[in-house]
Amino acid sequence: MRVVALYKWAPNPQDAQVDPEGIVDWRRATEALSEYDPVAFELARGFADLTGAEVIGVTAGGSAASSSLARKTVLSRGVDRLVLVADDRLKAADSTTLAAVLASLIRRIGQVDVVLAGVSSVDVNEGQVSMTLAAHLGWIGLGGIRALEATDQGLRVDRDVPGGRETLTLAGGAVLTTVADAAVPRRAGMRDILAAAKKPVDVVELDDLGVPAAHVVVSRVATSRPDNAKRQHVIVEASEPAAAAAQVISALRQRNVL
Amino acid sequence: MSAAIDTWIIVADDAAVGGLIEFARMRAGRLVAVVAGRKSVADEVATAGVDRVIWLGQPPEATPVEAFAPEVARLVGEGLPRAVLGPDTTAGRALLGAVAVRCGGPVFTRVSALELDGDRVVLTRILFGGIAECRESVDGGPAILALPSGGHVIATGIPTPVEQVEASPMTNAEVVDRRSAELVSVDLPSAPMVVGIGRGLKAQADLTLIEELATALGAELGCSRPLAEGVDWMPKERYIGISGQHIAPRLYMAVGISGQLQHMFGARDSEVIVAVNSDADAPIFAECDYGLVGDLYRIVPALVAALKTPR
Repeated sequence: MRVVALYKWAPNPQDAQVDPEGIVDWRRATEALSEYDPVAFELARGFADLTGAEVIGVTAGGSAASSSLARKTVLSRGVDRLVLVADDRLKAADSTTLAAVLASLIRRIGQVDVVLAGVSSVDVNEGQVSMTLAAHLGWIGLGGIRALEATDQGLRVDRDVPGGRETLTLAGGAVLTTVADAAVPRRAGMRDILAAAKKPVDVVELDDLGVPAAHVVVSRVATSRPDNAKRQHVIVEASEPAAAAAQVISALRQRNVL
Repeated sequence: MSAAIDTWIIVADDAAVGGLIEFARMRAGRLVAVVAGRKSVADEVATAGVDRVIWLGQPPEATPVEAFAPEVARLVGEGLPRAVLGPDTTAGRALLGAVAVRCGGPVFTRVSALELDGDRVVLTRILFGGIAECRESVDGGPAILALPSGGHVIATGIPTPVEQVEASPMTNAEVVDRRSAELVSVDLPSAPMVVGIGRGLKAQADLTLIEELATALGAELGCSRPLAEGVDWMPKERYIGISGQHIAPRLYMAVGISGQLQHMFGARDSEVIVAVNSDADAPIFAECDYGLVGDLYRIVPALVAALKTPR
């Protein structure tokens, strides 16, 4: 069996600078493994250890996605090998385009039984790419996944749904996004990092995938920085907690907040 | 600006799409609802004053709603609306993802406005968890939007007839067991007062301190993500953030929370924000109305005392 674990090498918007015109400057935001991805890796690894499956990390991102640090970070966390596209043209790609590139990479791998992904990426944070990928592959896309196991017919998964839990059986391919606490990701030790350097990495050229251009044309008309100016910004140094607390509570009462 | 935009709404077996219908009605021409799931859901949506309700038929009990994704995409592809709205749940995203592939365009999220500028559909949305905002025009296909679905629909007189169409869901996924969880007693999004606690708290036992503050304020208790998904001191339903609860209280008091972007996205609609943090450089102080710089273990009891003092 083959399990694909999707991941994203992405910067944290927390570290980005935004100018008053809303232009985002990412230079001070270093890219790293997106926060929820190790959960999917862990679930994939646990499944693979029980079934003898192979865990293949797949990503489509900017050139940094192919860096030595990016490769080792992923391959030291339970992933057996990588198949990736690293092309700066993908940095601003929309969810449907990224999903098309990922679908194309997954088809190149050959027989894949299931795709696992974290709930969303740290930068775009939409949770859409994996669900659109399911549609590209013609598979079912399911969210809220907590556990999966192999059965004679295919897979059995547990998932969170509004108001409770569900167990499903799946035959044929599926794209599954995991809940953030589905598994506790491992910490990579020195031995994992050394072993990671020897694992195979297949870097595919974007142009070799032949992903067609989108029909819908999206043109950016304007950008802006959300206005934070309406806040009062009254900052009290509270070395005298009683006086400081009384001051703030009094202000809240005067504004009829309390 | 802003003439009619023919809009289709995708319903994923949950009739609580009042927010979607309201969003659409502000600029709709014809409003069509495509309902995947139970007949009862289609019947409820039909009361909401939409022009057409297309129902994909009663699914077998074991069929998850996501199995209807290809059929929803086919119908939208044939209907060619200018805008498609669906709920920003995982089921909604699965259906919208199929629509996006069929139509060859992206799914947009966190959209605050949709309008017609001349002949072009223009939307306004937030980027990267709220650090920037943009306006974009969408040509050559529908604008596909995943939005908070809102509450129950508001009935508006005579229901629209429900049109049933032939649809074959995917058959490779079957629900074999359903279990309802304990009812979640907390409703953070509609709470008028919220106290949030973060990693500034040193031990789970110290939550009693924060609960005293919440009681004194008459507030619901929320938390930042590490407390719900890191150390499990708080249930996940109480976590405020971009992938958790979005709150809009009259007062949000954030205690021991640094104010990471992902947290603040869920709290930004609060009318007044009070922050308590020992780090004067914590980003939350840039986003608050009142900030108390100091040790929460000394400030919280002082706040409780001040609240108990008559005005």
